[in-house]
Parts: sequence; C-alpha cells; structure tokens
Amino acid sequence: MENRGTKYDVNLLRPKSGYMKGEVSAMLFILTLWGIASFGFQFCLMLSAGPSGKSWLESFTFFNLPFHFWFTAQMLPLWFIIICALFNIFIDRLVFKESRRREGYHD
Amino acid sequence: MIDSGQKIVPLMIVAGILLLFVFAGLLYKTREGSEYGLSGRYTGRIGGGAAIASNWMSAASFLGIAGLIYLYGYSALAYVIGWTGGYVLLLVLLAGQLRRFGKFTAPDFIGERYESPAARLISALISIMITLIYSIAQFKGVGLIFAWLLGIDYSKGVIVGAVVLMAYIMISGELGVARSQKLQYFVLIVTFILPLMFLAYRLGYFWILPQFGYGKAVTDLASEFKVDIAAPFSGFGLFHWTALCFTLMFGTAGLPHVLSRFYTVPNVRDARWSVVWGLFFIALIYWSAPAYAVFGKLIEARAGMFFSPAVAHEMADTVVLRTALLGGLPPWLIGMLAAGAVSAAFFTVAGLLMTGAASISYDIYYRLINPQASETRRMSIAKGATLVLAFLVLLAALNPPGLIAEIAAVAFALAGNTIFPAFLLGIWWSGTNRQGVITGMLVGIAITFIQPLAGGFIPLVNTLFPLTASALCGAPIVIALMILVSRFTTPPSEEIRRFLAEEVHGEQQ
Repeated sequence: MENRGTKYDVNLLRPKSGYMKGEVSAMLFILTLWGIASFGFQFCLMLSAGPSGKSWLESFTFFNLPFHFWFTAQMLPLWFIIICALFNIFIDRLVFKESRRREGYHD
Repeated sequence: MIDSGQKIVPLMIVAGILLLFVFAGLLYKTREGSEYGLSGRYTGRIGGGAAIASNWMSAASFLGIAGLIYLYGYSALAYVIGWTGGYVLLLVLLAGQLRRFGKFTAPDFIGERYESPAARLISALISIMITLIYSIAQFKGVGLIFAWLLGIDYSKGVIVGAVVLMAYIMISGELGVARSQKLQYFVLIVTFILPLMFLAYRLGYFWILPQFGYGKAVTDLASEFKVDIAAPFSGFGLFHWTALCFTLMFGTAGLPHVLSRFYTVPNVRDARWSVVWGLFFIALIYWSAPAYAVFGKLIEARAGMFFSPAVAHEMADTVVLRTALLGGLPPWLIGMLAAGAVSAAFFTVAGLLMTGAASISYDIYYRLINPQASETRRMSIAKGATLVLAFLVLLAALNPPGLIAEIAAVAFALAGNTIFPAFLLGIWWSGTNRQGVITGMLVGIAITFIQPLAGGFIPLVNTLFPLTASALCGAPIVIALMILVSRFTTPPSEEIRRFLAEEVHGEQQ
C-alpha cells in the first residue's frame, strides 16, 4: 500500500487539517448525543421494567402524557432540532476561527 | 369506508386547493421574472426549511404515521423518531460536504465520485426503484382519499386519483408553474392542525395546542377502556424497534430526492441552517400525528366500536379521515384535511417522478447511451419516462402490498442499504473506489429484498433483515464490504482524491 500516496488522503478516522479536526469532533459529539437520546432511552425503558412488566418511567405523567411516551414522541424530535442547531453554531464558529487564523497568516 | 356517496363540499375544496397552487405558481413565476430577477428565487433559511419540509411531507406523514400509531401504539413511534432523527445524520455527516461537492443528483454524485459509468448506472436504477416503491405508498393514499370523495371503491379511486395527479403534473409542467414551497408547507400544516384543534375542542380537551391536549385522552383511554396506547413495545420488540428506527434514519440520509434539496440554497451555511428549520417544520406535523390516532381510538371506544386486528389493519391508513368523520367535523374542514393529504401526496410524487425521470433521461440515456442527445430530445425522454413510471406505480398500487408507511419504509431500507453507504464513504474516505461501491450497492439491493426471497427457508433472515427494517444489520455489512473490496483493488485516481481533500474538506471561508 506504499504506492497509494497519502498526500490527498481523506479519512474520517484520521482528520488532517485543523478545520476537519474540529468538524469531526463536533460530529462525534453530536452523534453521541443523538445515539444516547434515541436508543439509550429505549434500552433504559426496557431494562427498568419491573416484575409487572411496567417501568417506573411509565408511572408518572408529563404534559398529560405518560413520561416515556412524552419523551419519545415529543422530546426526541425537539432534541434533534436542538442538537442540529448546536452543530451549526459550532461549525459557524469553527469557520469563523479558521478564516481569522488564515487572515492572520496573510498579514 | 364509513359512509358512501359523493361528498360535494370536500370535493370542491380539494379541487379549489389544487387550483390555488396552479394559480399561485403562475403568479409567482411572473413576479419572479419581472420584479425580482434571479435573486427572487432565494427565500432565506426559513424558506429553505419550508422547502425541505414540503418536499418531505407525504401521504406517509399525513396519513401513514397516525395509522401505525392507531395499530401499534408506542411501537409505531419508531417511525416518528426515524423520520426526524435521520435529519441529524444528514446534517452532521453529509449536508455541508455534499453542497461543496456540487453534484445535483445521487447518480451524478456517485458517477463522478467513483469515476464509473457502471456505478452511475446502478445508482440510477436504485433511484428509479426508490421512486417506484415510494410512489406506490403515495398512490395508495391518493386512491383512498379519492375513493372516499367520489363514493367509489378503492381500485377505481386509485385510477381516478392517478389520472388527476398526472394531469396536475403535466399542466404544471406545461405552464411552467413555479413551486411555491412556502405556500405548500403553509397549506399542509394548516390542513393538518386545524381539524385536530376542532377535534380536541369537540372532545373537550385542551384545543389550543392539541399536541399537548391529547395526553389527557391517552390516560382516559387507559382508565375508561383499558386501552393502553402508551404500553412500550407491545406492537413489536426492542430489537425490531431499533432496527426500524435505524433503517428509517439511514434511509432519510440516503433518499435521492431528499439529498437533491441541498442545491436550492446558495451557500453551505444557509444549507446547514435550513436543515434545522426544515426539521422544525417536519416535527410540527409529527408532534400532532399521534393525536389523530388517540382521538380516533377514543371516539371508537366511546361508541362501543372495537375491531379485530385484521379489520383494524385494513382501516389503519384511513384513520385520520375516519377520526375527522366520526368526530363530527363540518364538511368544509374534512375537505381541507382531504385536500392536505392529496396535496402532500401530489407534491411528493411530483418530486419523486422528476428524480426518477431524470435518472432515466440524464444519467442513463444522455450520459451512457447517447451523449449527443439534444435538450429537446432529453426533455421528451423525461416526459415519456414520467408516464411509464406512473403507469407502473398505478399497476402496483391497485393491489397495495401493505400500509402506506410500511411501503415507504421499504424505499428507506433500499436507500439506507445502498445510497447512504455510497455517500458516507464517498465523502469521508478517499480510499473508496468503484469496485468497492459497485459490490456494496449490489449486495445492498440483495439485502433489502432478501426477506421475501429467502425468509421462508432461512428463519434468521426474518429477524436480521426484515423487509421494512433491514438497514440496521444491512448498512454496516455493505459499508464493511465497500472498505474491504476497496482495500484490495486499485485506489481511486489522484484527481478525485485531491478534489475531496481540497474542495470538499479543504479550508473553508
């Protein structure tokens, strides 16, 4: 694999430029928030089910809905919107910082 | 359904709203030409978001989700999560880079990125298959509504609906009607939520925000009738739930007509922010859809109607309309609901057929068969292709293979098993080559359809690769295969790797 030449390699697992490094860490952070909320909660719901088959997460209501139903049906879509906005804010700042840094070089 | 005969007022409202779109489109077109020029097309991040949402909203969102929640309760929320959470993947993994890559369709991206006519052909065929499958779901929705409006049976309804739909697409195309997507979204959201507010009011729940009001109905159903819609995983278990959710998410990030949306916004930053707005507009519908299912169940229970699972399954796709009828909504409001469902299906089919026809006329005919073809020749091929595709969809929709949202989910599974891995690796690993992507996409197609083919004699297949939820196990296999094959064959040219490194992932301004 020596002749492949690594000059123009793009690899998610080995980001090179400063910008791409920032971008990849933002990605991983957001994807973690995404995964824990969407799938982690369902696993908790499953695992916390008592002998009666009911979880304590079902036992109280929130916004009139049983809590687990509210969380999945209403909180998760809202959560996705929030983390998408977070990602954009982070990338906007990253782009801004990068362009400031480059302008510094040109001076 | 529940009543027969023609519905004059709802019929007039459906016709009126479709005409409104044609006239508004014409008005938009002339204004655009004279006053605003080219810059008039761009409507900002919120407008971009409305465009994403109206492009996305289909009969599956409008009718399908409520139907599934009516049937499966909590389990069906996998569709809500899958169809919103997918946008996180799309934004974080692909949106910005795709915008910078600058290719307009899925086959175009795959053809250019992997420098291979064969890969372009396969992805064009996949694109066409997705168009067909997804459109079958939409045609079913259109058929159900038209059958009800005209008081005829489903098969006649779907034929009438298809004729009206094709006439609408052809007339809009011939007149050059601009798609005013903000207006489309506005009509969809009003026609979905206004009847819901009215229903909540009638039933005595908090009607100003029925999205919160229906919570009380869930607890009432459980205490009065022992019907527990919120019982977790009663429809299907946690594994299937997760598999379905993942599949819909991967599919969202790989559907060709969704990916194409990122080119209507002029810069990367606005493309990213319009996804957030789009997701918000989509969530507004998905926050409301369960309410239709819950109110429907409650009205039925109070009237003493309890159906066997087979009958309930038969009716699930009409739950939204049934609930409105049983809830005693005035005809004009039911007409608006029907008009919203019809327009959601119409716009989605229009977008899908356009993508499918472009795959045939541009990616297959122009790029692979006849590179000398003139613009007019390509246009007539595209028109012919639209008609042929619509006819094939109609044939399949006469005898629909499942519920609206389930049929749509198969299209998502196909996209998640083929296009999504090809885009993901194409953007994020420069070592992916044409042999890898071709092998991966072919295996992805096989995995998508393995359950109906082999499920009968290999039981494990039914668990791991269910037809609507094959991408949880399928997509990682495809990705691994793409990497493996790429490792052992010649790497892509330096030219494309440099383009990826410098243009797509390079310094940003």
